[in-house]
Amino acid sequence: MTDQISAPTGASDVTSQTPAIELIGLTKKFGDTTVVDHLSLEIRRGEFFSLLGPSGCGKTTTLRMIAGFSDATEGRILLGGQDVTSVQPHKRNVNTVFQSYALFDHLDVEGNVGFGLKRKGLDKSEISRRVNDMLELVDLGGRKSAKPRELSGGQKQRVALARALVNRPEVLLLDEPLAALDLKLRHRMQVELKEIQREVGITFVFVTHDQDEALTLSDRIAIMNNGVIEQCGTPEDVYERPKTVFAAGFIGTSNLMTGTYSAGAVTVAPGVRVELPGHPELIDGSTASIAIRPEKIWIADFEPDMVRVHGTVAATVYHGATTQYLVNISPEIQLTVVEQNLVRSRHDDRWSDGDSVEIGWKPEHVVVIG
Amino acid sequence: MASGTVTTTGRRRSVEGKPKFAVAFTALFMFVLYVPIVVVVLFSFNSKKSLSVFGGFSTRWYQDFFNDEGLLSSLRASLFISTVTMLCSIVLGTMLALALERVTSRPARITGTVALIPLVTPEIVTGVAALLFFTGLGMKLSLTTVIIAEITFSISYVAVIVRGRLSSMSDEVEEAARDLGCTPFQALRLVVLPTILPALIAAGLLIFALVFDDFILAFFTTGIDPQPLSVRIYSEIRMTISPAINAVGTCMLLVSVLLISLSLVVPRLLGRKDSSLDLISGG
Repeated sequence: MTDQISAPTGASDVTSQTPAIELIGLTKKFGDTTVVDHLSLEIRRGEFFSLLGPSGCGKTTTLRMIAGFSDATEGRILLGGQDVTSVQPHKRNVNTVFQSYALFDHLDVEGNVGFGLKRKGLDKSEISRRVNDMLELVDLGGRKSAKPRELSGGQKQRVALARALVNRPEVLLLDEPLAALDLKLRHRMQVELKEIQREVGITFVFVTHDQDEALTLSDRIAIMNNGVIEQCGTPEDVYERPKTVFAAGFIGTSNLMTGTYSAGAVTVAPGVRVELPGHPELIDGSTASIAIRPEKIWIADFEPDMVRVHGTVAATVYHGATTQYLVNISPEIQLTVVEQNLVRSRHDDRWSDGDSVEIGWKPEHVVVIG
Repeated sequence: MASGTVTTTGRRRSVEGKPKFAVAFTALFMFVLYVPIVVVVLFSFNSKKSLSVFGGFSTRWYQDFFNDEGLLSSLRASLFISTVTMLCSIVLGTMLALALERVTSRPARITGTVALIPLVTPEIVTGVAALLFFTGLGMKLSLTTVIIAEITFSISYVAVIVRGRLSSMSDEVEEAARDLGCTPFQALRLVVLPTILPALIAAGLLIFALVFDDFILAFFTTGIDPQPLSVRIYSEIRMTISPAINAVGTCMLLVSVLLISLSLVVPRLLGRKDSSLDLISGG
């Protein structure tokens, strides 16, 4: 697309350096409940940005404040450098893809997709051209005159996407748009959504509670909990280097251990010392939490410089491509270990319940959570 | 895959096991319900003046009806009352429904329930109350007082039907309209009202039919001239029993059946599943 997207106020001095969205101390209270708590965030132009968190964490409320459906109790919202905190929704250059799709039942696909352009007062031929282009993009070229009730879930989802994107907003807001689709369709739509975003180059702000979806789609992810951002970074950042206990626990499975640090090791349970080399910043006697991903733990066939711990296999769960072992390294601490089933089959499991094993990991795969 | 077997729920009871007495009872019920109506329709075409002996086919009573200036002015009055009531109660009832859908506070919810009381109040109570109200205010009874009484009674019907449709429409639909550039009023006009249009049509036709042949409210609140058709028929039949009344009754029946059918069919033609019947029986 070569068409220029201009800011609503015609600000020509906006450079690509200006963030698409800037939230400054954004707060939303419903009565005594604080749903979003002094949230500050910058979302870059052209970014696929996800707000990820459990239900009730404030991610949808944040999105609704950006769209203008919900008033901020405190704080400011800047869109392309312009303060829009008290601007009405219909005057903000953002569009939303709703969770329920919210298609207009009385209009056909063409009428739905062209609705925003018609409101803007574009002439008919222009509307028709852009609607056609957009319907081609979402692969619905042949369903122009279908009514929403005649469409499948996936098709409705695409109409909702097309109806928002056709307006070429500065920012597209997506509120769990794939949540209502079945698993297979959801995976296909994830791929399509990412492709479409690359093609149109519009900033996407994507709200989801699905960590896989966020990891797959996003350029950056903000993990939200209780109205605050726990961590913001690339998918690799938040997965490999979680900064908080919540972040480590929410994305993927993490083995979390807490104990007292002394002389290069953490005592995670009485008599169980886990070596933690390469962390000069830790002071003897301080408390340290460490996290290790299940797939980073090996059973046998160790490499020379690995940290090793003794344990007992408590359970073996076969998952097809992988096998999951639950290994007790003390009566209280159970670690999850995931091994790729490269050459073995179900019948030559090397370990079974009750076996005494040694597990190990590379020191650089351990994340120390502050 | 976790897809298990598909079980059928809500299976209909087998036809074979149908008890004979249910058939007999249903037949008796239909007989008592419809035979008097059939008799009225039949005798409206009687060539004799008798209300008990059928003397052959004729349309003389229809001619009588259409030549009777008094009956015709009552017919016009009834059409006028129904039309004005229908239009006013659709506007007011829709406003009420929109307001009740939106508010969540306790006083507002109580208001919502109170607004539906006319649906269950005995109509005679509403009629007497309206009469006392108008005379207390010193208003002269006329078609205007009938219309006011009918509107207050009809608003709750409209509100119930329109709310049924509104509650099946996601709040996000209106937000989507705002998102795509509509002012709040444009969102109402371009998206919300078209979405609930079938319910509005159904409610309108139903109100027209209900008000057109309403007797009790009209009886208590009408003035002397012209009287609504139902009141007029009542006073005629007390003085002289003319078969022309059968013709009038048949015409009214025709109008009612037509309107109720339309209120069921039009929403389906517009492609929406909800019709007034579903909304009333299904809540």
